[in-house]
Amino acid sequence: MTQTNLIRNFSIIAHIDHGKSTLADQFLLKTGAISQRDFRAQVLDGMDLERERGITIRMHPVTVYHEHAGQRYELNLIDTPGHVDFNYEVSRSLAACEGVILLVDAFQGVQAQTVANAFLAMEHNLTIVPVLNKIDLPIARPDAVIAEMEQALAIEPTGVLRASGKAGIGIEEVLAAIIERVPPPQGKADEPLRALVYNSHFDTYKGVVVYVRVMEGTLKKGERIKLMRGATEHEVSDVGQFRPAMTNCDELGPGQVGFFMAQLKNIQDVHIGDTVTDALHPATTALPGYKVPKAMVYSGLYPINNRDFEALREALAKLRLNDSSFTFLPENSEGLGFGFRCGFLGLLHREIIQQRLERDSELELVQTAPNTTYEILTRKGEILNIDSPQKVPDAGQIEEFREPIVRISFLLPSENIGDLMGLCSERFGVFIRTEYLSPTRAMLVYEMPLAEVIYDLYDKLKSVTHGYGTMDYEVLAYRPADLVRLDVLVAGKRVDALSTIVHRAQADRRGRSLVKKLRNEIDRHLFEVVLQAAIGSRIIARESIAPLKKNVTAKCYGGDISRKRKLWAKQAAGKKRMKQVGQVEIPQEAFLAVLESDEP
Amino acid sequence: MELYLEALGAELAALREPAPVETIFIGGGTPTYLDPSRLQRLLAEVTRWLPLRANGEFSIESTPDSIDENKVAILAAAGVNRVSIGAQSFHPHLLRVLERRHEPAQVSKAVDAVRQVGAQVSLDLIFGVPGQTLAEWDADLRQALRLAPDHMSTYGLTYEKGTRLWKQWKRGDVRPLEEDDELALYTHAMDTLETAGFEHYEISNFARPGCRSRHNQVYWANLPHHGFGVGAARYINGRRELNTRDLKEYMRRVLSGESAAFQSEELDPEERARETIAIQIRRSDGIDRHGFRVQTGFDLDTLAGAALANHAALGFVADDGAGVRLTRRGRCVADALIRDLL
Repeated sequence: MTQTNLIRNFSIIAHIDHGKSTLADQFLLKTGAISQRDFRAQVLDGMDLERERGITIRMHPVTVYHEHAGQRYELNLIDTPGHVDFNYEVSRSLAACEGVILLVDAFQGVQAQTVANAFLAMEHNLTIVPVLNKIDLPIARPDAVIAEMEQALAIEPTGVLRASGKAGIGIEEVLAAIIERVPPPQGKADEPLRALVYNSHFDTYKGVVVYVRVMEGTLKKGERIKLMRGATEHEVSDVGQFRPAMTNCDELGPGQVGFFMAQLKNIQDVHIGDTVTDALHPATTALPGYKVPKAMVYSGLYPINNRDFEALREALAKLRLNDSSFTFLPENSEGLGFGFRCGFLGLLHREIIQQRLERDSELELVQTAPNTTYEILTRKGEILNIDSPQKVPDAGQIEEFREPIVRISFLLPSENIGDLMGLCSERFGVFIRTEYLSPTRAMLVYEMPLAEVIYDLYDKLKSVTHGYGTMDYEVLAYRPADLVRLDVLVAGKRVDALSTIVHRAQADRRGRSLVKKLRNEIDRHLFEVVLQAAIGSRIIARESIAPLKKNVTAKCYGGDISRKRKLWAKQAAGKKRMKQVGQVEIPQEAFLAVLESDEP
Repeated sequence: MELYLEALGAELAALREPAPVETIFIGGGTPTYLDPSRLQRLLAEVTRWLPLRANGEFSIESTPDSIDENKVAILAAAGVNRVSIGAQSFHPHLLRVLERRHEPAQVSKAVDAVRQVGAQVSLDLIFGVPGQTLAEWDADLRQALRLAPDHMSTYGLTYEKGTRLWKQWKRGDVRPLEEDDELALYTHAMDTLETAGFEHYEISNFARPGCRSRHNQVYWANLPHHGFGVGAARYINGRRELNTRDLKEYMRRVLSGESAAFQSEELDPEERARETIAIQIRRSDGIDRHGFRVQTGFDLDTLAGAALANHAALGFVADDGAGVRLTRRGRCVADALIRDLL
């Protein structure tokens, strides 16, 4: 057990790609937690997917020891995700810290998530250690970026450290600053145990591994503990730290960060944000904990082959074991059969879940276009929560149709402000304010429907700012809007999985562009396929796919038969991977056409 | 070439004793490019091991520039009674696109020579050549008909991977015909040849009554057949085999006593039955329900009843209860139909 005055707990917060993982790896290397030989770039991003995408999703804690001014300090680094979808998880890790390193790319400067994460840290009253990263880049512009930090976040310029994770520059100074500036934890060893559960994961061999930060008291091996929320009691079988591999120890004292196991079999039994206390000498009050994250983006997930429904359920349940922010409920679509309505924190979260599913199971899936949640006040005075366009009642029953509104901040080159304002007003954005961080960079704040954000805003932002704009948002409230359900009819039959909820004012345009996109996604058939967009019984757009006229192999003699059969069989198998709606075969891509931007 | 003939002889000799056959087809390439003595040797090897039964059909493939009276006499002497001539087109500019080296005028000479020895004549034409017009195609068909062939094959041009034409197409140097135009050429061939008294008995084949290719009908019924030579296919005892297409490798294998087959597959009974559907449906006779059950052991409707009924409702298939066959519209989209049937 380390004395609290020798412990420092901190996170690194940064915009995506500003070099957070590389800096964390340097800490491991400099403190000898891993040897140069074992050094694999970005050790902390353990999951393949995270490595591929260069983003950190799960919070991997790591404990290192560092000598400073003749003392040996225990430093606990709690990693945070760097994407807007995972803001909630950032908040979770910050609750286990006393300080943060605010890492800013010395060329890219202050970005949307730099601001969002810095504000989160301030809300948690954490000490901020500002660090400029990639200082060795020839294009680095440290003075300008420091000025941006001062302007946007009131950071004192003289306190900003300069480092390069990649080149190993300034790492000692950053470690020293953590020890000197971040306050030590406050808890005492003789108080009743209170430890914050800030994460957990399921291990096939070990069961549930619970990640904790001890606030007061001591968590010991063999101790009988109580999880305060459900008042369940368990015996601690293992206690340990992440160094970075899981390493057992006898106890965790106040201020320490680590894990314990207690023969917990079901991850659902451990609530993130819960308080662990001693069953025999319990604390009187629990720690504040967390708000449960709310899924804001939903989409349907259907097996191509209806027989795979149960297998899909199992695969989803397995994913949920390590990601409780992801939800799924069975649903039935006329076009797609039996599947699940899945809820995600955001679009990236959704994409990651889909990729894990594809990687971990052999299932072939159709995913419908994502939508946000809506609220409907009915004429009878009930409030319906709508997570799928299929659940929208008849227009006659709706008193008020409400959609989620977000406050969205953009950081971008000032010269693109005009273009972005145009984009935002087309998307029902309400201007809140502009703030100049420097003569060339500005922050723009809007309120707008979340649906507009997930539709194509991120891609549009990147395109008008040539990649230099960033954004971050938080959900404010549900507000009434003039919304309608836009349906798609394929060969006269409504395909419920292609329905979307849109603003009435843009329904015509969306309807026209949607059927046009579908025309390109659906193959020609033996008959003409008519595609229509409709609001209620009113058809607002129509396209047709001309029938196949000539498609025949000229030569089929003895030597051709084998090859031709294989070719035909391959094509037949391709058809089977499509969803059959009436006589029409619809490929998976078509279900996502709803999401794509109107213009190419 | 000597070595190849030797290898072919060796492959045939592996039969150990002569196997009398109903039909012989020498083709897939142009055997008539052989000089007279080698051609004679080829024919001798074939007929030694595969003697033709009485009233058998003996076909050979040729080009207008590779046969003359002398060679035709050699063919006739060996028992050849049907010569297929690759006329392809009577328009020099289209022959150039197709990389055929003969002159249009050589076609009628070749036909006359074959007629002299009393063998049947089949002419091959190709349509859908880049740049080809309906008028040019009509002229090709009429010119072919003036030569009074017994049989005609009209092949829609296919861009085969690896050919020069395929590369030109990929590079954008040639543009394939529009679908509507290609369709018009195909239906025009059907109209013209049927009016001239030909039976359209397979997707690409037309014959005067009684002059269908018996040999090819074996393929299209999906029945067993032998196959010898480089790249040859055989279907014996439910097993399909394909000889290597590499000439050197073929000679090396056969002359060292190895099998020339480099691909071999044996389908399970249901796959074989489905393959039979795919092949037989291309015939004008279509698929006879009773015959299908006898040949494959499966019930046609159990395997493909729903798709056939759907095709019939859309007018692509005619069903008279006893059997099913493609309609004229069905022939134009046969591949798409076959995908549904598999």
